[in-house]
Amino acid sequence: MDSDVFAQLVVFTQQVANGLANGMGYVLIAVGLTLVFGVLRIVNFAHGEFYMLGAYFTYYVTALAGIDYLGALVLATLAVAAIGIVANQFFFRPLRKEHEFTILLSSLGLALLMANGAEYVFGADPKYVPTRYADETLEIGPVVVTQQRVLVIAVAFAMIAATYWFIRHTRMGKMMQATAQNPEGAQLTGINTGFVHAYTFAFACGLAALSGALVGPTAMLTHTVGDWAVLKGFIVVVMGGLGSVTGALFGGILLGVAESLGGGYVSLGFKDAIGYAIIILVLLWRPQGLFSAGSGRR
Amino acid sequence: MTALLETRRLTRAFGGLVAVNNIDMHVAEGEIVGLIGPNGAGKTTLFNLLAGSLEPSSGIVRFAGADCTGFPAHRMARLGVARTFQITSLFPELTVADNVRAGTYRTKTGGWAGALFRTRAHAEDERAVSARVDEILAFVGMSARRAMPAKALPYGEQRKLEIAIALAAEPRLLLLDEPAAGMNPDEGAKLVQMIRSIRDRGITVLLVEHHMRVVMGVCDRVVVIGSGLKVAEGVPAEVANDPEVIRIYLGREKIHA
Amino acid sequence: MTAAPRMRALGAVAALAVLPWLTGNAFLQHMMVLWAIYALLALSLNIIVGYLGELSFGHAAFFGIGAYTSALLSMQWGVPVWLGPFLGAIVAGAFGLVIGFVALRIVGPQFAILTLGFGAILHTITNYWVDLTRGPMGISNIPPFSLGPIALDFAQARNMYYVALVFLLGVAYVCHALMTSRRGRAFIAVRENPALAASIGIDVFATKLHGFVVATAIAGAGGALYGHYLRVITPELMSLQYVAALIIMVIVGGKGTIVGPLIGALVYVSLLEMLRAAGPLRLVVFAALLTACVIFLPGGLVSLWRRLRERRLAPEPAGASA
Repeated sequence: MDSDVFAQLVVFTQQVANGLANGMGYVLIAVGLTLVFGVLRIVNFAHGEFYMLGAYFTYYVTALAGIDYLGALVLATLAVAAIGIVANQFFFRPLRKEHEFTILLSSLGLALLMANGAEYVFGADPKYVPTRYADETLEIGPVVVTQQRVLVIAVAFAMIAATYWFIRHTRMGKMMQATAQNPEGAQLTGINTGFVHAYTFAFACGLAALSGALVGPTAMLTHTVGDWAVLKGFIVVVMGGLGSVTGALFGGILLGVAESLGGGYVSLGFKDAIGYAIIILVLLWRPQGLFSAGSGRR
Repeated sequence: MTALLETRRLTRAFGGLVAVNNIDMHVAEGEIVGLIGPNGAGKTTLFNLLAGSLEPSSGIVRFAGADCTGFPAHRMARLGVARTFQITSLFPELTVADNVRAGTYRTKTGGWAGALFRTRAHAEDERAVSARVDEILAFVGMSARRAMPAKALPYGEQRKLEIAIALAAEPRLLLLDEPAAGMNPDEGAKLVQMIRSIRDRGITVLLVEHHMRVVMGVCDRVVVIGSGLKVAEGVPAEVANDPEVIRIYLGREKIHA
Repeated sequence: MTAAPRMRALGAVAALAVLPWLTGNAFLQHMMVLWAIYALLALSLNIIVGYLGELSFGHAAFFGIGAYTSALLSMQWGVPVWLGPFLGAIVAGAFGLVIGFVALRIVGPQFAILTLGFGAILHTITNYWVDLTRGPMGISNIPPFSLGPIALDFAQARNMYYVALVFLLGVAYVCHALMTSRRGRAFIAVRENPALAASIGIDVFATKLHGFVVATAIAGAGGALYGHYLRVITPELMSLQYVAALIIMVIVGGKGTIVGPLIGALVYVSLLEMLRAAGPLRLVVFAALLTACVIFLPGGLVSLWRRLRERRLAPEPAGASA
């Protein structure tokens, strides 16, 4: 009986560990999404597609060009951030003064364009991003995790800390805060809000690509993976409060662990539905998010 | 005269800030009452409490003798309380005539089915609504603008259109939120004329206003609010000379009678 | 309606009625049926997007509910097939009532995300409730539409076209009646300025819920017709791909109008076929079309027509300001 309890405890801990690893991946996706909402007021449907691009870039750079995985990861992040600048210029900048409805539709158009364009360019057959960490495991007591998952957790924590520091302590970060709080006021004090927008968008796209490069190898890669990524991102961001970085951190971990436990103890099939059920409850109970003091209901 | 609108110890707090504090006031049928006070005195909060846009923390609002405390805006409107907004609020994409037509909503009861089956009642309602729109546009002097989109109107006419929309709802009480804001003295004088003729249509008027020329020119009675409390109440000339009123305005705005 | 638009509407109805007789090509007739069903769905989404001014990303779920309801009722309980579209509408509308009652308290982008969540949950349930829906395999061998004693073969595209057309014209008329009614004015008022709408006595929430339920019920009827025509349905009907397709039809055609969604559906169905050879590039074209319309032509293709006509009818006098 004692060993039975112990075995259950191991299973539980293993599931929490898996959930934590998945959750940190969600956090990386969600931080960019929440920044773009906070600073640019855009609910960016195309965010998942930048994740998808990050994963594909990493695949091509490692599998075809033969560059080391960690190098590929950095290259993919930078390349996708550059693409983000272009995307912002064409799809969002012209609509700056338009209704949020129009901007949401434009981001949907961009998402469809990228997802379907990816099928055209990269093909519909699934790919597997090779990394040397996917097959190696790390054993902590009875709990086993792949090194890739450990890498996801470590990089995600590092990136969150870096993002925090960046927003609080750099000049650009302060300009981002000012623009988020009061765009007109920021402009009056001489901040080039157009530049801040472009910078934030590129930063967010880079984060999305980084998460794609990190989380991508844990699953099969297809051109529709962006849908999955953006849905997870939305769930996390809604849970944590639109625009809140801290909220994204807690929301992501909560979602990862909830899904892992729900999938393990309730039903694997309905695992994805857990997240949707969470956002419905959160939006109705606290539309401003669980971890945010501001008001979301306007 | 009986009170059309009445408040008892009406209070609204935001967190620790009591914006409206224990206000007793009334507006009698057929009166034009002005609500004045320095910036931040709680006028707009009180106004929104009366219009149903905010819920009071405590106290009572009565309309035509019936308790309507905490009614949402659309229920206040259905009782016969129409309002305008401090920041111009129209249906920008619709024509001037369609703006006013939308305002007639509460005066009829027909729905989708009448239009679907082209009933006689629906046709009659629509004719009556069109006649009403024509009459109101003539009343505010905007008949020539009827086909123009509201967003294309000059500012002064947008303010007039707002009043026209409210009138189309056939209110018993009209609440005007700073109707003279942004108007020049000439337009202000015309507004005073219009408010008088609105009263002559049998509509009671309560207005929040900064322009003392408008308040003194048109109001039968003035209620003065300072820091959420009622400071004074009376005919304009009396109130303008009330030492307490002069004190709360001192160093802020001058009262020009 | 004044005389000229009424004549134009009657002319359009007459043209639509003779359309399938202009060709003996079964494939073109098949396209016509698809157009009529998609146009019906686009009109229903237009009630939410065009009239109420809210963006729903869950609309395909109601389409799927209608399709599954009608298919399962006719196959497992022997309910007459002609009742299917009505029962599909009732069940989809009931889901719309519950979901709308919950979701419409939130506005703007959060509402869009919320509908996305509800749609995704319904999609997931359909996918995994294998006992009822047969899961990802879908339901096949659905009986074709039938009218009881009237012995017409509705597996034939030409006959089915008339069934779909009757529903389409009915819904188009319902939308037209709405826009000439007091209720329709309330819809537009809520879209244009909710605070002002409330101040003239319109219950904003109730008005939105009303429109949402009608729109979801119509989508349910469209789903039922779709299922009995194609005779195979899968949970894919509820996927984001169909949501995107419906949004493309409404936006590209022109939201807030009746002709717009019909044109949008036509563009969608014809491009879908014309570009079949282009493979994945075809969806890129749709996405580009949506984006181009959002950025350059917010009124959709119908606004192009209006713009051209205004230019022709009223040539601007020299020196007149724009």
